[in-house]
Amino acid sequence: MKEYILLFVSAALVNNVILARFLGLCSFMGVTTRVDTAVGMGMATTFVITVSSMIDWGVERFLLEPFGLGYLRTVTFILVIAGAVQFTEMTIRKVSPSLFQMLGIYLPLITTNCAVLGVTLLLVEGKMSFLDATLFAFASSVGYSLVMIIFAGLRERLSLAEVPQLFAGPPIGFITASLLAMAFMGFSGI
Amino acid sequence: MVEDFARVVAADADFAWLEPEQGPSCGACSASAACGAKGIGTLASKLEARRFALPQPADEPRFRVGERIVVGVGAPTLVSGAAIAYMLPLLTLFGAGFVAQALDGRDGVTLLASIGGLCAGLALAALLARRMSARGGLALHYLRRAGAATACIPSGGGS
Repeated sequence: MKEYILLFVSAALVNNVILARFLGLCSFMGVTTRVDTAVGMGMATTFVITVSSMIDWGVERFLLEPFGLGYLRTVTFILVIAGAVQFTEMTIRKVSPSLFQMLGIYLPLITTNCAVLGVTLLLVEGKMSFLDATLFAFASSVGYSLVMIIFAGLRERLSLAEVPQLFAGPPIGFITASLLAMAFMGFSGI
Repeated sequence: MVEDFARVVAADADFAWLEPEQGPSCGACSASAACGAKGIGTLASKLEARRFALPQPADEPRFRVGERIVVGVGAPTLVSGAAIAYMLPLLTLFGAGFVAQALDGRDGVTLLASIGGLCAGLALAALLARRMSARGGLALHYLRRAGAATACIPSGGGS
């Protein structure tokens, strides 16, 4: 159990997808204007990253590795991610049309989120067992969601603050993100 | 309250059918013309797939085809909806995965058990969502009419 906790903390905080690996910055800046939308996007991304990583692990272990098709890894993983997003959309639509009305807006954004592909490539490079790989993907996406929510909270407060015109909008957002990244560097001491 | 625009595409005496307008998450980006994200054609990007019905207002003029209105959903509803749809299946996925790992230990068996857990979680989520919908907990609410010139999302969802 201890190794699972360490894996979780390492993937979510120490090697945070956004602030340490700089992946998924488009959605990080685009969907963090409000905390509630950041929560919705974060949960959707968590689901897609975990499910697509699970499938990608199986594809790598049972198809690409035994047949020496490693050079097809990136293309195959992109296909799996697009399929996972489509599966998620169809499932949410079937599970609850009402939820689909509310949450469907985030899903197309996930397909082109490089954090999804980045996490799956990282776990394959790490040669992890299935449960470790899935937990790593889940923890990475929880870290992604955490940063999204923190940053959305900061931006909600920034929108009420008096920012010099030169820095208004994305510039002050990036400055805030860099300060947040420095704060997260503190976790590297764990 | 998370708000969004919708356009009336059909209406009768009791109900109006609306399609949400494309959100500005990608569209407002300065690089949207060159970005491939909007051309992916996923289900959620097809507006017809997201068509929904609202009852005609009792104390205001009826909705007419082509009219733009602002609809909203409470933030707690959005968060609890997302938790049911996404987190519950993941919890059952990991529950089944950990049990299989402890009992058998082989990766293939853990993978199959996790898929089973995911399916069970999705079925449970469907059940819970149906109950919430039956109580009206997941419904979108009509907030106000929007002028034709109103171009931005009133709150949230923008980049």
